Amino acid sequence: MKRLILSLLYCVLMRGFLKVIVGVVYRNREAIKKVPQFVLVANHNSHLDTMALMSACSPRMIAKTHPIAAGDYFGQSPIRAFFTRFFVNAILIPRSRPKQGEAGPDPIELMSEQLDKGHSLILFPEGSRGEPEKFQKFKRGIGILLDRHPGVHYIPVFMKGLGKSLPKGEALLIPFNSLVVVGDPRKCKSRDIDGIVQEVEAAIRALSVETH
Amino acid sequence: MNNVFSFFSDNIEKFSSNPEVMIVVGLIFGILIFATLLFFIWGKINPQANLAELKQRTRSWWMMATIFVAATVFNPIISFVAFGLLSFMALRELASISKNVRDEDRRVLIWCYLAIPVQYFLAYKGWHNLFLTFIPVFMFIWIPFMLILQGTTEGISRSMSVLPTQLMFTVFGISHLAFMLTLPPLEGFNAGGRGLLLFIVFITEMNDVFQFTWGKLLGHIKILPKISPNKTWEGFVGGVVTSAIVGYLLHFLTPLTAIEAMVVSGLIACSGFIGDVVVSAIKRDIGKKDTGDIIPGHGGILDRIDSLAITAPVFFHIVFQMYYLNK
Repeated sequence: MKRLILSLLYCVLMRGFLKVIVGVVYRNREAIKKVPQFVLVANHNSHLDTMALMSACSPRMIAKTHPIAAGDYFGQSPIRAFFTRFFVNAILIPRSRPKQGEAGPDPIELMSEQLDKGHSLILFPEGSRGEPEKFQKFKRGIGILLDRHPGVHYIPVFMKGLGKSLPKGEALLIPFNSLVVVGDPRKCKSRDIDGIVQEVEAAIRALSVETH
Repeated sequence: MNNVFSFFSDNIEKFSSNPEVMIVVGLIFGILIFATLLFFIWGKINPQANLAELKQRTRSWWMMATIFVAATVFNPIISFVAFGLLSFMALRELASISKNVRDEDRRVLIWCYLAIPVQYFLAYKGWHNLFLTFIPVFMFIWIPFMLILQGTTEGISRSMSVLPTQLMFTVFGISHLAFMLTLPPLEGFNAGGRGLLLFIVFITEMNDVFQFTWGKLLGHIKILPKISPNKTWEGFVGGVVTSAIVGYLLHFLTPLTAIEAMVVSGLIACSGFIGDVVVSAIKRDIGKKDTGDIIPGHGGILDRIDSLAITAPVFFHIVFQMYYLNK
């Protein structure tokens, strides 16, 4: 049932809305279908980013694809948390790992669990939405995660223009043409955490060069 | 006068398939079949010829012609929605590449988008006077007012001129195509609004193709080297002459006599050229080759309709003045 609702919502309605009204153009979207399990990593400027990436998935995959969302923001109220979990299919995580001796869920564990189940993730390593067309420093979480799951492919995605259509702090969506460039799935080559973070960032930057 | 306006309101029901329109629809697809076969055989005879771009362009022409014919030949409501969508996509494209608008102006842009359904509603209703004045009078007052409400004055005069001009180009110009559909048939002229629409679109697009082709075949003397290096005098003159001949042959789509249609088609070709180079200049200012990448081989929506945005109102007002206003 959830799979049907999500397929209808994203693969039909949201994709149509994004393409016709917002003006999103996908490049190399088929690349997502090439692997059964993936971690989508992308730059983050807008709430539309998650919508655009969910809509890029195939109906077959959609129920098994989870965007990673910040628990403090999207879990503010029970209703909001429910909507994020059900309609966005998101996993809510704390922004940082618990320090030694502290209780509380470990975000890496929460993400790892999904990968162990064979599910896929959508991850924004910049953490929160930044200014359009500017990269923020990538967080280490993506490195730790991919280091633990060396067999899982990651797919770099670069998005441009969505931050103009719906920037941070704006409630009014105004259509501007935007581009979602999907890279080919790959496994990380580096063996250490910082190396992986750098590798992923470089992959996304390489896609951004293509759009100029 | 009254007669003309009552015609606008009740002629929408009178759309019916007519032979003139069908001939030209057949002609459009005939040309496409011819071009497809030509490039296919040419590619077989001479495998070294680089026809990839021409073939891709032809494929895109098939797509555009099919959408255009489907959107105009059936239900008039579909036509108005389709042209409205075209205006919307063109405006979105122009707003997206434009760097002359301040960040504060994004909220004002929503008024530009909202003007589209209003303009097409006025066209659909056939309210001629409001249709003609809504953008150049009412929006030209409203947009600067909305801009000053944003609270900053720095760079505001640029935004005040850029936003309304974008609206004129993408919405006012293109909506004339839809408005033609409300023009009634006249005595001795059966094709009606659909005939006029087909005529202007066909002549404009053929002119683009002919200017391109003549320029490739004979072009030497550059006409505007700093703005559009591919445009030559040979291509321009060839396009104007060929368009005039095509207009002469297709005059039955319009109430014009054959000679009038020939002269008007020459004018259409000239104004199509103007639209083309104006958009080229905008692109050059921004530093892009194409306005988008939505139509393979052609670029963005604007790259394709740049000339139509100018030719549609020019043609409409000439024909309207000559045959509808004073009759």
